[in-house]
Amino acid sequence: MIGAEQRLSRMGAFGTAALCLALAVIPFLTTTTSLRQASQIIVSVLAVLGVNVATGYGGMISLGHGVFVGVGAFATGYYVDDLSMPWLLAIALGAVTAGISGALVGLPALRIKGIHLALVTLGLAIVFRPLSKRFPSITGGVSGRSIDARFDAPGWWPGDSRMASSVYRYVFCVLVVLLALWATWNVVNSRFGRSMRALRDNDTAAAVYGIDLVSARVTTFAISAGLTGLCGALQVALVPFVSQDKFPAQESLVIYASAVVGGLGTIWGSVLGVIARTVVGKVGDLVAGFDGLGPVGEFFDLLDDSAFVFGLGLIVLTFLFPGGLAGIGRKDRLRK
Amino acid sequence: MTWNFDILPDFIFNGLSLGAIYGTVALALVLIFKATTLINFATGELAMLGAFLVYVLHMEQGLWLWLSMALAMMISAGLGVLIERSLTRPFDPADHLPVVLITLGLFLIINAVAGDIWNYQVRILSNPFGKFPSWVPSVGGDRFIEVFGSRLKYQSIGIWVTLAFALFVLGLILNRTKAGLAFRAVSSNVESARLVGVHTGRTLGFGWAIASAFGTLGAVLVAPQLGGVNPNMMATILIYALAGAALGGLDSLGGAVLGGILVGLIQAVLVTWGGVVVFGQLYMSILQLAAAFLIILIVLLFRPSGLFGTRRVERV
Repeated sequence: MIGAEQRLSRMGAFGTAALCLALAVIPFLTTTTSLRQASQIIVSVLAVLGVNVATGYGGMISLGHGVFVGVGAFATGYYVDDLSMPWLLAIALGAVTAGISGALVGLPALRIKGIHLALVTLGLAIVFRPLSKRFPSITGGVSGRSIDARFDAPGWWPGDSRMASSVYRYVFCVLVVLLALWATWNVVNSRFGRSMRALRDNDTAAAVYGIDLVSARVTTFAISAGLTGLCGALQVALVPFVSQDKFPAQESLVIYASAVVGGLGTIWGSVLGVIARTVVGKVGDLVAGFDGLGPVGEFFDLLDDSAFVFGLGLIVLTFLFPGGLAGIGRKDRLRK
Repeated sequence: MTWNFDILPDFIFNGLSLGAIYGTVALALVLIFKATTLINFATGELAMLGAFLVYVLHMEQGLWLWLSMALAMMISAGLGVLIERSLTRPFDPADHLPVVLITLGLFLIINAVAGDIWNYQVRILSNPFGKFPSWVPSVGGDRFIEVFGSRLKYQSIGIWVTLAFALFVLGLILNRTKAGLAFRAVSSNVESARLVGVHTGRTLGFGWAIASAFGTLGAVLVAPQLGGVNPNMMATILIYALAGAALGGLDSLGGAVLGGILVGLIQAVLVTWGGVVVFGQLYMSILQLAAAFLIILIVLLFRPSGLFGTRRVERV
């Protein structure tokens, strides 16, 4: 058993090293467009991490985290443009705003559990888009609004080309995501993190042992929503445009699915979930390239549709790895 | 603020007929939830697929509409059994995470497949209750009769009669057949049912079959009100049906139907008619969606068992 675990940690070390290498090399190899896309993928780790905190550690199913991405994005756009705040402050406040909205959503979660909470949060995800159309001064209504401020490289950053700014944004996003992963790891392994997990496993027993159920649940949801809102805030920094049509209910489902596929209850699961989602998407693009295969080609046409590929991948991955990708090789440890 | 009581019956009739459809779809949700405590988020998409089957059989192949509906309901039932056997049975229903994912995956797949085959434009499906059949004595016109100075559409009457008949058949199946007895046993207590020799898997498949058939019925009935069939037709209907199921109690079959009808009435009278009274104009979609969401939230917060569901006692 010890051997297996050592092998696993060696695998983990290799994975981490490969990931760091990839992150360091990417800016030297690409164009501004693909660097932006890479940054967007990296930023989406935060949204998945948010779901992981609420569902994986807090035991509260949320099918509505796309809402917090939206709140973070709209709030950041509002702060940076209408209130002309500096970007760093706007991003931080955007995440805080999402966190406060998360605390409000967390209040019903005090009483509503399990599949019922899934129902409520799904309802929230569906209502959010038409609702945000009703506040055009902040959200830009149906067509969205572009943000005038640009998140450009400051004077001390080497180079002042468009590429230099792209690299600056990329490095900023990577650092923020790493910082958030580290901070979350610390939170879930603190005293508060243990009370979170106790509530997940048996909330009645945890309350009997003196854990304040109300404050723990609300704080968990606020942290979770804050992380997810940070994702939305950074999205605005990357692409200065906010619009309600970026936040359909499906987006929330995709975030939730990535969290579960990656593995709930482990920090690295969130990273793995985003990697899996990206790989499934790329495979879909690749397969869609084949043409002229007769009746088989008909099926490949279907693979053009990213929703189809994602749905199929979701079911296959759920069957193969019920504990998520991060749960591979840990089966016997979990069984006990 | 003007109280337009003269148009109120119109809204009530409309609410009652939409509500009956929500009730039908809510029934599909509850039939699966009752036995497995699993909310099938793909209910709406399965129903949409059923409506498209009717479209293919009736509009493209030229079969009689009612025969196509019966065939489509049978095919959906078969599909429901297949999904239960292959996709949900391997998982422990008490663990919500994987099963929620499976039904979400199904949701995406069915929607994409339908979009690929029929693309996303609205296709007209003939209305089973467009005009009174010739043997009905004409009362006010061929599409409606006058009640309280308002038009009671033949379509509404048709929906109510169909739903009443479907409920009657469902009652017979559940109360008078062996499979129905097994279903009631499994939904009241899985372990005990298994101990007395009920094949639980097969029984759950039976529940999925009836649920899918009911979903298809609901989708066919709602299609004329949406202008026809299209792959996204059930997205909002599903939310109203979920609200209805939550209101009636997620494990009560009669509650689902009544809950759906209540949601339809709330939507038509409180939101739409109330909107006309207060603002003097129609505020449709967003207020209705918000009302459905509020119903779900309030019911689950203050009375999770709904109006007719069983209350649960939690033990450590």
